[in-house]
Amino acid sequence: MFSFRNQLEIAWCPGCGNFNLLTALSEALVELGLKPSQVVLVSGIGQAAKAPHYIQANVFNGLHGRSIPVAFGIQSVNPELTVIAESGDGCMYGEGGNHLIHAIRRNPNITVIVHDNQVYGLTKGQASPTSEAGFVSKTQPLGTVSESFHPLALAVSQNASFVARGFAGDKEELKSIFKQAIQWKGFSLVDVLQPCVTFNRINTFGWYKSRVYSLPEDYDPEDQVGAFKISLEWGDKIPTGIIYRHSKPIFSDLVFEKLGRKEFLNPTRNYQSIFEDEKHGFE
Amino acid sequence: MPDITITIGGEAGQGVQTIGEVLSRILIRNGFYVFSIQDYHSRIRGGHNSVQVRFSDQPIQAIGTDTDLLVCLNHETQEIHQTALKKDGIMIGTISSPPSPSLPSSMVSIHFNEMAKELGNRIFANIIAVGALIEILGIDEKIAELYLEEIFQKKGKDIIRLNKEALALGQKEIRKHQISRKFLDKRNGSQNPGKLFIVGGNEALGLGAILAGCTFYSAYPMTPSTGVMNFISSRSKKYGIIVEQAEDEIAAINMAIGASYTGAKAMTATSGGGFCLMVEGLGLAAMTETPIVILDGMRPGPSTGLPTRTSQGDLEFVLSASHDEFPRFVFAPRDPQDAIDTMIRAFNLSDHFQVPVIILSDQYLADSNWTFSQIKVNEKPKNTQTVIGDQNYQRYVLAESGISPRALPGMSEALVVADSDEHDEIGHLTEDLELRVQMHQKRMKKIEKMREKTRPPVYKAGKTATIVGWGSTYGVLYEAREKLVNLGVDVGLLHFNDIYPLSKDILTFIKSVPQPVVIEGNYQGQLARLLERETKIPFSLRINRYDGRPFFVNELMNQIREVLS
Repeated sequence: MFSFRNQLEIAWCPGCGNFNLLTALSEALVELGLKPSQVVLVSGIGQAAKAPHYIQANVFNGLHGRSIPVAFGIQSVNPELTVIAESGDGCMYGEGGNHLIHAIRRNPNITVIVHDNQVYGLTKGQASPTSEAGFVSKTQPLGTVSESFHPLALAVSQNASFVARGFAGDKEELKSIFKQAIQWKGFSLVDVLQPCVTFNRINTFGWYKSRVYSLPEDYDPEDQVGAFKISLEWGDKIPTGIIYRHSKPIFSDLVFEKLGRKEFLNPTRNYQSIFEDEKHGFE
Repeated sequence: MPDITITIGGEAGQGVQTIGEVLSRILIRNGFYVFSIQDYHSRIRGGHNSVQVRFSDQPIQAIGTDTDLLVCLNHETQEIHQTALKKDGIMIGTISSPPSPSLPSSMVSIHFNEMAKELGNRIFANIIAVGALIEILGIDEKIAELYLEEIFQKKGKDIIRLNKEALALGQKEIRKHQISRKFLDKRNGSQNPGKLFIVGGNEALGLGAILAGCTFYSAYPMTPSTGVMNFISSRSKKYGIIVEQAEDEIAAINMAIGASYTGAKAMTATSGGGFCLMVEGLGLAAMTETPIVILDGMRPGPSTGLPTRTSQGDLEFVLSASHDEFPRFVFAPRDPQDAIDTMIRAFNLSDHFQVPVIILSDQYLADSNWTFSQIKVNEKPKNTQTVIGDQNYQRYVLAESGISPRALPGMSEALVVADSDEHDEIGHLTEDLELRVQMHQKRMKKIEKMREKTRPPVYKAGKTATIVGWGSTYGVLYEAREKLVNLGVDVGLLHFNDIYPLSKDILTFIKSVPQPVVIEGNYQGQLARLLERETKIPFSLRINRYDGRPFFVNELMNQIREVLS
C-alpha cells in the first residue's frame, strides 16, 4: 500500500507524541484517496513544524507562527488543493494567535492541526500559551502565573466551522478526526494532545490517558452553546472528538463568486487593451 | 508662457480636494499641463488641508513655490498661506483681515457656502469656487460646462443644470469686482484641445501592477500606500484579482508568499512602519526563493512619524532589511509613467530571478498628479516562468545560473518542497554545512546577473557640477537644473530609478561625473552613502531635507548654488 511517509530521518525524541500523530495523518491522507501532489502541508517553526518534511506531499515550511496566512494564500489561489497547516501550540497559539482568530473569520478551506504538548520543546522547555498556571520551568522557576489559553473554547465562541480535539495516544480516533477535518469544507481546527516526553513531566501519556474520554455518540456537535460548555471541560475529564461543526460558506467560494472567475494562474490578460481601456480614466 | 500656482486651503471635509480635481480636469481640457499635490493632516475632519494646482502650457513635473492665487475656504487658510502669496497674487474666499501691509496682494471676499445655500444646497459651494477661479484665470466657461456635463451625466439633467448655474454664479460674483491681475492673455479654450492625461502616483502604481498581471494583493491599509489598494480592489472583479485586507502586515506578506508559491503574481504594499513588520516575511520570500513585489510608500519616521508627509528615509533600511544576505532589487519610480513601467519590470524580474523586488514610492509620488501628453506601456509583462516537473523534481536544484526551475504545487506529479530553514536540493531542511555554502552561493550568485538587468540612471551632462537624486524628486531636480542652466550655471543631472543592484558600467560611469551634489529627502544622505560604498569615492556634497515636505524648485536652486559656492 502507498504510504505518505517518506524516507527522511526523523529528528524527534524517542517516544515523542509526534510519531503517532504523523502516522495518523499519513494514514488519513492515504485512506482519503489523496495524491501527494494534491496535498500541501504548511508549517511554522518548532519540533511539530518538522512533521511535513516526513510526509510525501507538497510542503511549505515557513516562519514561526505564520503557517495560517501562507496556507490561506495557497488555498485562495488554488482551491483544488488540500491544504493543511500543521505546527505546535507555541507556533499556532503564541506567535500565530492573531492569524488563528482571523482565519476563523475568513473561513478558508484549510485544516489546522496543532501539536499541543503544553510546552516549548525545541527551545528546551519554556511554558507555552497552553501550559497550566503554576507550570515550573527554567524560565518560569516560580511557576507561570498566567492562565492557560483555551483554543477550542475560543474557536467555538467565534463560530469556527470545525473544532475538534484528538489525543496522540489514540491513533485510530485521531485518524478519524483528521479525515473528517480534511474533508470538511471550511476552516478546521484540530488540537492534538501530544505529550512531550522530555520537557513536560506533568502532562505525560499517563496523565492524559487517565483523563481523556471520547465524546459519546449522542453528543450533538451542531449545538454551539453545548459545544462551548464541552470546550471548557478540562481537568479530571478531557473530551476528545468533534466538538463543534457548523457549515458555512468558505472564503474562496465567496471570493470567486464575487469575482466571477475561477482560473487565476497565468491569466490571459490582454495588457494592451486593458491599458487602452483604463487610460480613459486619466483623461 | 503662463506658469501659475493656485493653492486651495480649508478644513478636511470642506471640498479642498474636489475643487483641485475639478479645476485640474478643466485645465487639462484647456490644453494646459497640470501638476497637483495634496498637503494634509492625519485626521478625517477639521485640521488644515491644502491642494496645490500648478499649470502651464509647457510640461511641468514639480510643485510650485509661490502662490499666484489663494483660495481660502476658511479663516485659517489666509493665516497659513498668505506669506507664500506673490506680491501680485490674488486671494479669494473667506478673508477675515486685510493682507499684511508687506503683501500688497489684492483680495476678493466671497462666501461660497452662503451662495450655495441660495442655490439650495451647500454641495454647490465647490463648483461656485471653480466658477470664480475660471473667471479670474480667464478660462472659457464652455470647456468647464462640457466637463460638468460629462461628470454629472449619470445624475441627470437637473443636476447638470444646477451645477452650471453654480459655475455661472461664481463667475458673476468675480465680474462684480475689479481684478488687478490678468492671468491668461485671452480665453484660449479652443486653441489647444490636444489630449492630455492626468495621472496620480498611486493610480499609476496600481495600474502598473494590473498590467503586470498581478492576481493576488494582500495588504493592511497604511498611508500613503492605501490608494494603490483602493485602485486595485476597485478593479478586482474586472480583472480577477484576489484582494485581501489582512489582519496585519505580517499576515499580508505571508499570504502573498503563499499565493506566489501557488503561482499567483502576488504583491503587498505598505509604508515604512508596516514594512518593519514585513521584514521577517521578506527573508522568507528570499530563502524560499518565492517571487514577490513589495511597495513601500515612504513617510517620515521612525515609528509612526509624520503619517501624511513625505520622506526618502527608508532606502538604507530596505537595502539591508532582514537578517543575513540575499539578493533583491530596489527600484524607485520617478513619476507616474515610470511607475507603470517599473511595476511591470518589478513583476517580471521578481519572477525571473525568484527574488523579492522592493519599490520605493513616497507620499509625494503617491498623492501627486502629473500631466502627460501621452501615457504608454513601455514594458511587456511576461508570463510566470514555471516548469512541469515529475517525481524527480527538486525545487532547489543547484543550477549553474543560480535560478532553479520553479514548479507549482498541484500542477504536475512534482512535489514542491519550500523551506525557510536551510535546505537540500529537494527542499528538506538540512544542517549539512557544505550544502549550506552551496545553497547560499546559489542564491547570492544571482546578483551578478541581476546587475545586468538594471537600468542606468537618467543623465544630462553639465560642466561645473552634477545634481544627483533618486525616486520622486526627479521632476523638481529636472526643473531646478533647467533653470540653473538658463541662468548660466552649467549643472548636470544624474537621477536613479534602479538603485540596487547597480551595474558595473554604471558604477564606473558615476565616478566620472563632475562634482556630484546628492539631493535626498533624508538626514544622512543614504544614496550618497550607497554610492560611496559601491564606488569607493566620496560623495560629500549633499542637500538633505527631512521636514516632511517635498523639495521646492526655487529653494533647491538656492541650496545648490550655496553648496557649489
